[in-house]
Amino acid sequence: MSNALPLPLQLIWLVPLYGFSGMLLSLPWATGWIKRNGPRPAAYLNLLVTLLAVLHGSLAISEVVQLGPQHLDFPWFQAADLNLRIGFDLSLTNLAALELVTTMSLICQVFALGYLDKEWSLARFYALVGFFEGAMSGVVLSSNLFMSYFLLEMLTLSTYLLVGFWYAQPLVVTAARDAFLTKRVGDVLLLMGVVAVSSWAGSMEFTDLYAWAAQAREQHLITPLAGTLLGLGLIAGPMGKCAQFPMHLWLDEAMEGPNPASILRNSVVVTCGAIVLLKLMPVVAVSPLATTVLLAVGSISALGGGLVAIAQVDLKRAFSYSTTSYLGLVFIAIALQQPGIALLLLFAHGLARALQFMSVGSIIATTNCQDLTELGGLGTRMPATSLAFLVGSAGLVGLLPLGGFWCYGLLVENLWQLAPGYAAIFLLTNVLAAANVSRVYRSVFMGPAMPKTKRTPEANWLMALPMVSLTVIVLLLPAIMQRIDPVPGIASFSLAVAGAVLASGLVGVLLGALTPLDEFWSRSRQPLVRLVQDLLAYDFYTPEIYRRTIVSAVASLARFTRWFDINVIKGAVDGVGRLSLSTAEGLKLTVSGQLQSYVLTVILAVVLLIGSLQVLREVG
Amino acid sequence: MLLTVLLLIPFAGTLALLVWPSSPSPSRLRQISIAILAAQLALSVLVALQFDPALPGLQLQEQHSWIPGIGLNYALGVDGLSLPLVLINGALTLVSAVITRDIDKRPRIYFAMLLLISGAVNGAFLADNLLLFFLFYELELIPLWLLVSVWGGVNRAYAATKFLIFTAISGMLILGAFLGLALLTGSVDFSLTPVLSDRLAMGGQLWLLVAILIGFGIKIPLVPLHNWLPDTHTQASTPVSVLLAGVLLKLGTYGLLRFGLQLFPEAWARIAPILAIWAAISVLYGSLAAIAQTDMKRMVAYSSVGHMGYVLLAAAADTPVSLLGAVFQMVSHGLISALLFLLVGIVYRKTGTRDLEVLRGLLNPEKGLPLTGTLMILAVMASAGLPGMAGFISEFLVFRGSIGVFPVATLLSMVGSGLTAVYFLLLVNRAFFGRLAVTPPSGDAEADARLDVQLAPVAPRETIPALALAAGIVAIGLVPSSLGHLSEAATTAMAAITAGVS
Amino acid sequence: MPVVSQDLVHANLSIDREEVKRRLLSGETLLTDTPDHVLEVVGVLESYGEVLDAYSINLIYQAEHQFLNPFPLFKYLDGDLNPAKIWRHLTHNRINFEYAEYCQKAMFWHATGGLDAYLDSPAFADNCRRIIAAKRRRDPLLAILNPLFPAFLPELIRSAATTHALGQFWRVMSDLFLDLAAAERDGRVRSIPQVVDFIKDGLVAAAANPIHYGVMIQGERFWVLPPEAGLTFLVDVAVPYVEAVFLRGMPFLGTVSFNAQAQQISPDQAKFTYGALYADALPSMGAGIPPSLLMQDMYRHLPEKLHQWYRERTRGEGDVRVKICMSFQKSMFCVTNAAINGTMPHPLSSADPAAQAANAAYADAWAQRLGIARTDCLAA
Repeated sequence: MSNALPLPLQLIWLVPLYGFSGMLLSLPWATGWIKRNGPRPAAYLNLLVTLLAVLHGSLAISEVVQLGPQHLDFPWFQAADLNLRIGFDLSLTNLAALELVTTMSLICQVFALGYLDKEWSLARFYALVGFFEGAMSGVVLSSNLFMSYFLLEMLTLSTYLLVGFWYAQPLVVTAARDAFLTKRVGDVLLLMGVVAVSSWAGSMEFTDLYAWAAQAREQHLITPLAGTLLGLGLIAGPMGKCAQFPMHLWLDEAMEGPNPASILRNSVVVTCGAIVLLKLMPVVAVSPLATTVLLAVGSISALGGGLVAIAQVDLKRAFSYSTTSYLGLVFIAIALQQPGIALLLLFAHGLARALQFMSVGSIIATTNCQDLTELGGLGTRMPATSLAFLVGSAGLVGLLPLGGFWCYGLLVENLWQLAPGYAAIFLLTNVLAAANVSRVYRSVFMGPAMPKTKRTPEANWLMALPMVSLTVIVLLLPAIMQRIDPVPGIASFSLAVAGAVLASGLVGVLLGALTPLDEFWSRSRQPLVRLVQDLLAYDFYTPEIYRRTIVSAVASLARFTRWFDINVIKGAVDGVGRLSLSTAEGLKLTVSGQLQSYVLTVILAVVLLIGSLQVLREVG
Repeated sequence: MLLTVLLLIPFAGTLALLVWPSSPSPSRLRQISIAILAAQLALSVLVALQFDPALPGLQLQEQHSWIPGIGLNYALGVDGLSLPLVLINGALTLVSAVITRDIDKRPRIYFAMLLLISGAVNGAFLADNLLLFFLFYELELIPLWLLVSVWGGVNRAYAATKFLIFTAISGMLILGAFLGLALLTGSVDFSLTPVLSDRLAMGGQLWLLVAILIGFGIKIPLVPLHNWLPDTHTQASTPVSVLLAGVLLKLGTYGLLRFGLQLFPEAWARIAPILAIWAAISVLYGSLAAIAQTDMKRMVAYSSVGHMGYVLLAAAADTPVSLLGAVFQMVSHGLISALLFLLVGIVYRKTGTRDLEVLRGLLNPEKGLPLTGTLMILAVMASAGLPGMAGFISEFLVFRGSIGVFPVATLLSMVGSGLTAVYFLLLVNRAFFGRLAVTPPSGDAEADARLDVQLAPVAPRETIPALALAAGIVAIGLVPSSLGHLSEAATTAMAAITAGVS
Repeated sequence: MPVVSQDLVHANLSIDREEVKRRLLSGETLLTDTPDHVLEVVGVLESYGEVLDAYSINLIYQAEHQFLNPFPLFKYLDGDLNPAKIWRHLTHNRINFEYAEYCQKAMFWHATGGLDAYLDSPAFADNCRRIIAAKRRRDPLLAILNPLFPAFLPELIRSAATTHALGQFWRVMSDLFLDLAAAERDGRVRSIPQVVDFIKDGLVAAAANPIHYGVMIQGERFWVLPPEAGLTFLVDVAVPYVEAVFLRGMPFLGTVSFNAQAQQISPDQAKFTYGALYADALPSMGAGIPPSLLMQDMYRHLPEKLHQWYRERTRGEGDVRVKICMSFQKSMFCVTNAAINGTMPHPLSSADPAAQAANAAYADAWAQRLGIARTDCLAA
């Protein structure tokens, strides 16, 4: 059967390998074997293999358009009733996601060549990006839960390594660790779900799991408690990956990493997490509670993330919290059974967010600064950067007819009847997002130049070129979306809904344009305002809450175990030891005693053994 | 004959080293030992090639009466459970000989003991007779005790004595159980046939099984019998730690499967729920204790306590998948902990300390230990069960095989797996990230940033064994069927024994 | 057997502000005079001189021939497009010109001194207007962008002006450092005081060199920095360069968090202490440390004598680039020393109390900044 498939589809397993091979190709430079020449060839090789991945992906798309969805799998490991396979689900959606991943990776790698042009560890960076890209390509194509989990964990690892890229920077030391651990909490919970469902359902193929889940619901194959736990376990992984409350901390910490990696993380990595959730949704539906939790988490993330974003003074963090907020919207859409629109939103968000982060990278590279209060007046001097910022932001917010607007329109239209409360959350999030981008635009691009923005030429061409290209793509996005989702069309919502979205965007922009901007390193004098300001600026004190609860619980348990180990177990052992040592004095069992005496003891024991056996035998 | 030759190589080597006429230099002795151990490894591979993985039972069997009066037969055989361990033993003893450097005190005895341990461990894995197993099991004690007590750290006397007492008790319990078996069944048949209730009443089975559990539980070690392990590790030199963690602990888990599960299937099924809880406690205790450590080596030692707990969990669950997971976990723990100890050893040799409150920034590319750091990241990630490396597939098989039987204990053990990431990230981020330093922070960051650090470089030959281990870890992680293929028939058959009786 | 950690750690004493001032006023060099220091400083400056030669040529090439080029794909090739050279660039077998751009950026961004003041003058704005008018005639993209983003092109022209000026500055320094190496080979320079004097004389001799910069647009010459602006080598370019690169510098992504909430970076650029004289050499060649590029360039041009000396120390070839960085820091103290001596208001030998007071005040101003620098590298 698979022999009949055209070559690009037969060889689809190569696609993740392009990224991984990029990592291997970078090794000679990354490990310092090549000492006299610089690390740039590693970057060029990675660009080359990523380009191959993009081309292969587009060939595969054109084949699938003709042949319809395909499925490919290969055995990986089999034992008893366990059958682990490498499976690829070649649907148009998955391949479109693959193109998003590889194209974004390509654009980011070009951007990184400019952003990290003074970076001596360039080869290590590209090796990690290659690894990252390989894992993501696999996740979006995966047709079974095991492979998805396998690759999601690899994403966790590469996030850790990328955040830890500047390993000597003091905040990176803790940030990389915390980023890994927060994601790992989600991963372990997900693993619990994966192991359980594998043991119950047997097969790990998504399609088999759907059948099992339907059966389980009808025939009550598992207890409600087990079902709930399973559902919660399965959503925990995507929650961690998509930086949803309360597992959103890592995204903030991850901002200590290099900007090109932040671009990928805020656009495609979170998208991968959401795609896994989409694939899992029919299984999660076994538990009604899990769906409710999903909705709650999504709502809190959408609004909380939006609010926290507005209070940030750090350029990168202002948008990373906004990512949390948008993924919250995606969660709501998924939980409310709107997978098609959820995908559109992911797509629109991924591209526009990436563009926004590129412009952020260009600003940081030019000004050496990411403090909003120290920036200003860049608008007239940096055309590519400010256009990228404007278009990226417009692509996110529901105001101008770019990607975000159509997604908001579709979602509000579909939810208005079904769940008006959630429709309101969407509009409110739009207000917050619009307010956030407009206040950031004001502080960064408008106003007079500040000391650190006095001399700011446009970023170098290796950053400007990908920015401009992506700007064009984001501008064309509505047309692309229309092609991906021709029925019922991206404009299938009423004028009233359009008006509501427009109004919410407008209110947001006005809010952002009219509220006073933060003064440098200062806080409000009004106690109540200050309270709210601090609450949001410090992310509802989530890090502190973590420290006081989970971290301190684990730490005190660990301390207690150590105490117990030393005082109770070791104490008891030493006590018994002293006792036996004093009686064993004759045998000189101490080390200062002779080896011979021990050998003697052993020989005695053996003689004794043989003797006793002999006796035993005679008795028997 | 093949198995006897496999055993003869190290024993003959030991003898040859001890009676070697002239007094060869330490490096010459090292070369000779490496050659002998390489031959042993090559022969182990040959055994693996001769082995037919499709057959569940013992193969390449040899049977000779030795002292028939007491039931001691020279009976050898290899199956899917012991073969991977024989291979690991071959590989890791070679590694520990390779990484032995600067032995100036009695090198001849040192290397002889190394060979002796290797042979004894192989003997224990291959023995098809309870008494023969016991002889080999005891035979490995003395040389290890010597290796710790003569070539160990400052506090070696205490640690060695503790090791000796614990393992002597372990040996006595095991011997007691074997003799008890003879006494209760009234026969001196020490072959490995399952003891069922038609031969021995359940009460007797349980007593013997408990003795075996405690005996091997000391060796594994399981909480609360683990106290000897961290002390022994911290005082032992790096090659000895590699051996101890990589190979010798496996004698415990091997014994558990072979002489607990396989010998007393009925009693085992009876107490399996307790064992599962015990495993979970061991896992969590080991992980939590590791978090609180500041000595890198102690941390790795406690992580062993936690990770060996998975094997008990798998054995308790006793399903085909979980038992295969147990074999995987033994092999991957062998490789991973050997790599961890090896790397900690390199750090210690270069900096003179393993204190996590002192070491920082070792990833520094020119003045630090960058390759060691990179491999350390790989090793801790493997240990934390990241996919693509041996730890993941092992843990996955263990958990997947056990969750249906003991869901709560399995979930708790998975929490322990999550905790592994906590302590090992503490280790990596403290010791390897940040600005390079090998002195405790003085409180004045400005002054600390002015300290130059002169660490000796790590020669490529020092990292080759580590690279080889890392390659093995990744290979098993990516192509687990290589190992699964060897053991599946045996573990499935083993699970069938209990399934048949219960 | 493991070594006691104290043996592995070593820190020289730093000298304080008073001691810096005393050495400056007494005519003593900041760097202790030892034969090893002479070898290190002269050797490292020789390789630096060769690297600066390439940097200088390239910066001037970029400013003159890649002027306002939106896609300067071949900007590091100096106009030489033969395949062998392109291949060497693809394999990164080349000088890291990115570091020259980094220094240019530091100088431009910190915006101090006479050159920078001129960039804000009405005369410069006129120059820009003329150049843009000429460019717009041929380039439709610029014709659209300029009215929309009126500050865009002038900012790029300012940047090009700094690039060219830095190229001219490095031309002088490169020749000076290579001359120094020749003088040491001839035996004319044998000690650190002689090294400092040699550099000082070179700087003083070039002090009044004019700095000017013009571009050709369609065969017509346009002045960016015209001769009548009266910009000179020492005051308008060298001093801002020292300020931006030796003293202030820019925070490294690899050692400082840019997180606004962490507030690790001062809002006042004048308070920055990330420059060469404050740098920690140990993390060189690590991630996020831009001067690693310079160390690599110097490593590739290291005189054999110095290379041999490095090979015999600590890790030999293994940490050679950190040792280069340490020597480089010493030599930069010598250059600073020479610059201070050369700009001292009055001769040190002057007996006039007013002159002495002026000198003391000048030395004190420097001591204030150098007292917290990495003076621990100065001891033998």
